Amino acid sequence: MAKPKLALYWSAACGGCDVAILDTNEKILDIANLFDIVFWPIAVDFKYHHIRAIEDKSIDLCLFNGAIRSTEQEEIAKLFREKSKVMVAFGACACFGGIPALANFTSRDEILQTVYLEAPSNSNEQKTVPLLRTKVAEGELELPELFDTVLTLEQVVPVEYFVPGCPPPVDLILKLVDLFASGKMPPVGAMIASDKTCCDECDRIKEEKKITRFYRPHEIITDPKKCLLDQGIICCGPATRGGCGMRCVKANMPCRGCFGPPPGVVDQGTKLVSSIASIFQGDGTEAINKMVEEIVDPAGTFYRFGMADSMLKRKRLQKS
Amino acid sequence: MAKISIDPITRLEGHGKIEIFLNGDGEVENAYLQIPELRGFEKFCEGRPVEELPRIVPRICGV
Repeated sequence: MAKPKLALYWSAACGGCDVAILDTNEKILDIANLFDIVFWPIAVDFKYHHIRAIEDKSIDLCLFNGAIRSTEQEEIAKLFREKSKVMVAFGACACFGGIPALANFTSRDEILQTVYLEAPSNSNEQKTVPLLRTKVAEGELELPELFDTVLTLEQVVPVEYFVPGCPPPVDLILKLVDLFASGKMPPVGAMIASDKTCCDECDRIKEEKKITRFYRPHEIITDPKKCLLDQGIICCGPATRGGCGMRCVKANMPCRGCFGPPPGVVDQGTKLVSSIASIFQGDGTEAINKMVEEIVDPAGTFYRFGMADSMLKRKRLQKS
Repeated sequence: MAKISIDPITRLEGHGKIEIFLNGDGEVENAYLQIPELRGFEKFCEGRPVEELPRIVPRICGV
């Protein structure tokens, strides 16, 4: 029997999701034995024209990482959707927008202005910026158009499964492969992760939370056995899905939410605001204002990985 | 002028395509490397607390 066909793609991403697959170590050999890999830019040499040439739905499993922030990425997402039986949003960027969706606090024009014209490390005396079409002596060159708003994969094409994480941990990658190989995939729409929150899975000692102030890292030495939030460190654990293996908290770093909202929560940032409001002990406007000021960059922290998937979606665009 | 596109370029981290223009004799007249990807870290890191940047900028390249 022919092996099932596997495609892996990176969109607006960093390559960390691809490396996470390589982090399966010797199990990568099982994956290579199990599947016929038909596309994987980081590792094999197939081109887009190879994928365009194959029959629709002939790829059995597509692991698509990265957010969608350009016309090319949208086109490739639609191409893989057309050619794949099962599409998996792989990693925080594909699932929720991830770090690239922090761009939703700004706009395409602001990004191009800073990156190409203002960044202090630039040397761009001719003020060159990317153009959709550039005439050269030999013909014309084309670039994709950037979107103002970074999107999740599911905002562009239907998706069967989701594997969260920045990057997804190896045990969840192997779980996905095992489920697929054994024909035991969960119902469509499933998140391959835990149904609990990070807090539920965290083994730090939790007390009844009564926070009187929040600290930045240089203002406090934390107790590694105790809940970070109890100690006044902003931790996104209460509003984040578990299954990550507590990689950050075990390294004494607070959760930043890369597994997205837990089941039943629509908006991760709002849930965090609600969690923090309910544990803060302080009366009166003055105490509340002081607390708000102690939380530096609340939007960029509470929506660190989830801006594209949030109810806010983006900062309002300034009309020019 | 005939054109060969290598899209995407593979076995590296990141996105790129190469356009190769051939002259009438089928020889390479010129070749262009294009980067069809931009995320904008230079912009969206602005306003983030400095202590958070070691957890944001590793996502420039995770390879």
